[in-house]
Amino acid sequence: MFGNVGGNRTFWIVVAILGACAFLWTVPTIFMVSLSLQSDENLIISTANVALGLIPWPFTIENYVRLLSYDDTPRWFFNSIVVACSSTVLVLLLSSAAGFAFARLSFPGRDVLYAFVLAGMMIPAEGVFISLYTMFADWKLHSTYFSLISPNLALPLGTILMTRFFKGIPKELEDAAEVDGASLWTIYSRIMVPMSIPALTTLGIVTFLWTWNSYLWPLVTAQSKEMYTVTVGLASTQQGYVDENFGRIMAQGVIASFPVVVLFLVFQRYLVRGIALQSK
Amino acid sequence: MVMARSDMAAGRHYRPAGSATSQLSAWRLSRAIQPYLFVLPFFAVYILFLIYPFFKNIWISTFDWNLLEVAFNPDAREEVGLQNYERVLLGRNLIWSFGHNIELKLVLLAVALAAAWGWFRQWWGSTAAFSTAFLALIIAFALGFHPGEKGRWFDGNFWNAVRNTFVFVGLSVPTITLISLALAVFLNHQSRAMAVLRALFYLPSVLSVTVITLIWTFMFNPLQGLIGNVFRVFDAEPLVWVTNPDLAMPSIVIATVWWVLGFPMIVLLAGLQEIPTERYEAARLDGAGLWSIFLHITLPGLHRPLTFVVLYQVISQFQIFGQAHLLTEGGPGQATNTLVRYLYLTGFRDNELGRAAAMAFLLFCIMAVASFIYLRLSSREER
Amino acid sequence: MRYSKALLASAGLMALAASMPAQAQTDLSLARFFGVCDEKSTDIKSAVGEACIIEAIIQSFSEADNGITVTELPADWESYYDQIKTSMVGGNAADVFVMHKHRIPEFATIGALAEITTEEYANVGIDIDDFTDRALDSVSLDGKHYGLPLDFHAYLWHINMDLMEQAGLVNDDGTPKLPSSPEEMLEHAKMVKESTGADYLTGFFDGTAPNMRMFVALLAQQGVDPYSGDEVSLDTEEARNAVEAFSALADAGYIDVKIPTENVRARFFAGDAAIIIDGTWRVNANDAAMEQDNVVIENYYIAQHPQLFGESAAWADTHMWAIPSSLKANDPEKFEAALQLLAHINEHNVDWARTGHLPVRKSVLESAELADMPHRTEYRETADIAYYMPGSRKYGAVQEAIGQRLVEHYQNGRPIDEVLSDMQIDVEDALN
Repeated sequence: MFGNVGGNRTFWIVVAILGACAFLWTVPTIFMVSLSLQSDENLIISTANVALGLIPWPFTIENYVRLLSYDDTPRWFFNSIVVACSSTVLVLLLSSAAGFAFARLSFPGRDVLYAFVLAGMMIPAEGVFISLYTMFADWKLHSTYFSLISPNLALPLGTILMTRFFKGIPKELEDAAEVDGASLWTIYSRIMVPMSIPALTTLGIVTFLWTWNSYLWPLVTAQSKEMYTVTVGLASTQQGYVDENFGRIMAQGVIASFPVVVLFLVFQRYLVRGIALQSK
Repeated sequence: MVMARSDMAAGRHYRPAGSATSQLSAWRLSRAIQPYLFVLPFFAVYILFLIYPFFKNIWISTFDWNLLEVAFNPDAREEVGLQNYERVLLGRNLIWSFGHNIELKLVLLAVALAAAWGWFRQWWGSTAAFSTAFLALIIAFALGFHPGEKGRWFDGNFWNAVRNTFVFVGLSVPTITLISLALAVFLNHQSRAMAVLRALFYLPSVLSVTVITLIWTFMFNPLQGLIGNVFRVFDAEPLVWVTNPDLAMPSIVIATVWWVLGFPMIVLLAGLQEIPTERYEAARLDGAGLWSIFLHITLPGLHRPLTFVVLYQVISQFQIFGQAHLLTEGGPGQATNTLVRYLYLTGFRDNELGRAAAMAFLLFCIMAVASFIYLRLSSREER
Repeated sequence: MRYSKALLASAGLMALAASMPAQAQTDLSLARFFGVCDEKSTDIKSAVGEACIIEAIIQSFSEADNGITVTELPADWESYYDQIKTSMVGGNAADVFVMHKHRIPEFATIGALAEITTEEYANVGIDIDDFTDRALDSVSLDGKHYGLPLDFHAYLWHINMDLMEQAGLVNDDGTPKLPSSPEEMLEHAKMVKESTGADYLTGFFDGTAPNMRMFVALLAQQGVDPYSGDEVSLDTEEARNAVEAFSALADAGYIDVKIPTENVRARFFAGDAAIIIDGTWRVNANDAAMEQDNVVIENYYIAQHPQLFGESAAWADTHMWAIPSSLKANDPEKFEAALQLLAHINEHNVDWARTGHLPVRKSVLESAELADMPHRTEYRETADIAYYMPGSRKYGAVQEAIGQRLVEHYQNGRPIDEVLSDMQIDVEDALN
């Protein structure tokens, strides 16, 4: 339990209790999947048909068939992936480059600039979204990938995290490289970046989830169906007064989530290890 | 320091052949510029998409700026100075009385006293203690204002939204922190079973906010929801959640905790693995119980990740919008209207962009305090 | 190297995205609510429900051989107007969009809507003389016309006659006995509760817009507007009467106002409430639902909002199609195409009326096709007692201010007096 305290029996009791909790934790997701596999007619009065509604019976895949034949959900999903991935990659690049300079190089004005970045931490995204909205309107750039992605990149937290991380890396490696006459770019890309994979993973996860879930900004900047992200797109079809389409709406939710869930299940080992490694 | 070292390295070993001096100075020059090239891309987006919009926001907040009207006719905005702030913050016939919000005031007074005590006992530096105490007293004083007879706030919904936001943060952050801490402690074990459990707890975090609200709308629904189904098994009248004024906020908190728990859990797990096993063994040799090991080894060892988790959560939960907008639509009444949602409605439903900008600035002011505390706490560690 | 490639790729992607080319052929974008249709079809006659009927009308135009295609934008009901506005300001306004009459002042007074001249109507074959006066009036502001009226919609009383029968609330001619005063309503509610155990009525008492509609209808029945110009009269005796009418039923336990929106209709279908206060938009959809096995209602009747006070009135509004002024100014060809779409929609006014909404064309009103539709005779007079909210540029805020306060009363149990005095000031604030 704590470290290696506790015997084998205790261990399995803990696993059993945690397993029960984890099952409860997944129940809402199971419920969504189950509803998506039942017909709307079946759900109109009660969802508790079999096992409180957790087992989809009578079973049907008609919701999915219908959705895949015409629905925009895959497109919205694609947009979300493009936005979240590009934002993540670019944030990692910008933050690690700036963090490297702040942590390992000395140049006139460094401390002032770093203080300037720290100050930016205090500005929440919502604190600027009105003015960003007017700016993109002036530029006529709303409803583009550019408008969806670029505001995500101004993330002082990323630079601060990377600066702190780089400060903690021992100097010897870098010195050795310098002795060999390596350029700053080589030191950055060959030594610092590979060493900072754990920190980059953490920052990457935070950025990805943040942009993947961002709702307010896409709500005002994505102005056509083609540019909706999953968050805005799904919200646009969950109308308050169309209340007989539980099955379809749930199926939409599943379609929108399925690929990220699979991605997560494939990569989760690396994610957890990435964060865990940070400490070593 | 770095410069000096690199000069040395260059001078000693690896000087390119040819006209040495001119190449060396060119190399030095590029070496002097290079650091700026590394920070330049970041600063470009940082200034363009954060700093400039921040000041533009303040500028907008001094206008009576109708969203649609200004789009069709840029001259339609009218400079109004601080009127938007007045409209948002103040009211008519406001009075100050000691008894108003007395519970909160007492809590804040206690905070101020604790800060003073901390300074007296030299746990805290004078700046930190003084600013904390000062801030607590200012807020306590401000809490005494309320509309008198025939008076009212110009924008009562704003203050209500501020209160709701604080209530939400106050409920969700401790819950998230405690549960993720418990999970991290129990799941901190290298085994396949634990890895699977970790993944299950983390899973909801990858779902999008719209999917979360969708799921929980149907979880909470008394007639067709899962929780209602469970109630009916026991022949109980199902609870009404999202439209019940007492349960609407807890509903949002439950959905949020379920959703975001994974990340703090992982961060704390990573923190746990940083604690050397020798410490546990030593404690065990001393015959310490599990609880005492948790209190004296685990918790202190987690100081850094815990600080990060709490402040990250405070900052991100403060910006709650999606759950309140989609799950409860701010209702019932105004029971779950939050600051960011109200800001959005003011700007895009009521077309009052100037007033919304003023609210955005006020949101900044609140967040600035939270970030300031975070920076103080974390910079203290770096020392 | 790897990283610089990734950078290049992302930058390229963004540049590509920023310069997405505009379509060359005439493709109209259309924004609407009414929901998503599950059964995509261009067969207008067989479509059921608002979403599918409008979908079929639009798609049949899009797929016809007229060189015009239509792309529909789905929209979240809650954020519909926000999105219309954000896209207008962002220069991405839909070429045609549906809106309510009550929003005309907000958009038209600043020149956001294209004025459509009599000639332009005539050119595409829209006969404006065929519109009822009220219909034409509802798309007009200061003598200018701003689009195509689509319908009148109103709140109706949808009735489960089985329960009314059991409670003895049926006239000899088979019509339901409906109350003519709040006191009588309380009596009826008691009869229903005692003889059937069901609630007398159900409605969306947790929603802001529905609450406002029910409330202003009862205000109108007392001859009062909630506001006119900047003058607000909500902290009044009439307002109190309007709230108390339903409140009294709830206090006596004859209705449950705390049912969440998603469950209100399910309760009606399950026979747990004799009446549901719901819109014309549900007529066709409810009829379809009656076919389902798990809906217990045998005998379904629709009545116009009963007169509980001095005058007859039912809350009503008009859906209309509008075109942004920017389209008319910048792209005459597309504007022409948009007008043709409006003409097509207008031709199918009778099909739209199948949803339950009242048509706007005299020729349709008099048509046999309309007369043959189920229930139409039962609520035909709703058009005559339609009550429109006074126009305002701040309709959204006003609706929320009124609605939220009522929700506070029904859901949080705040006393009527407090709620009304707050509502008065809220609406005053919203209007200035």
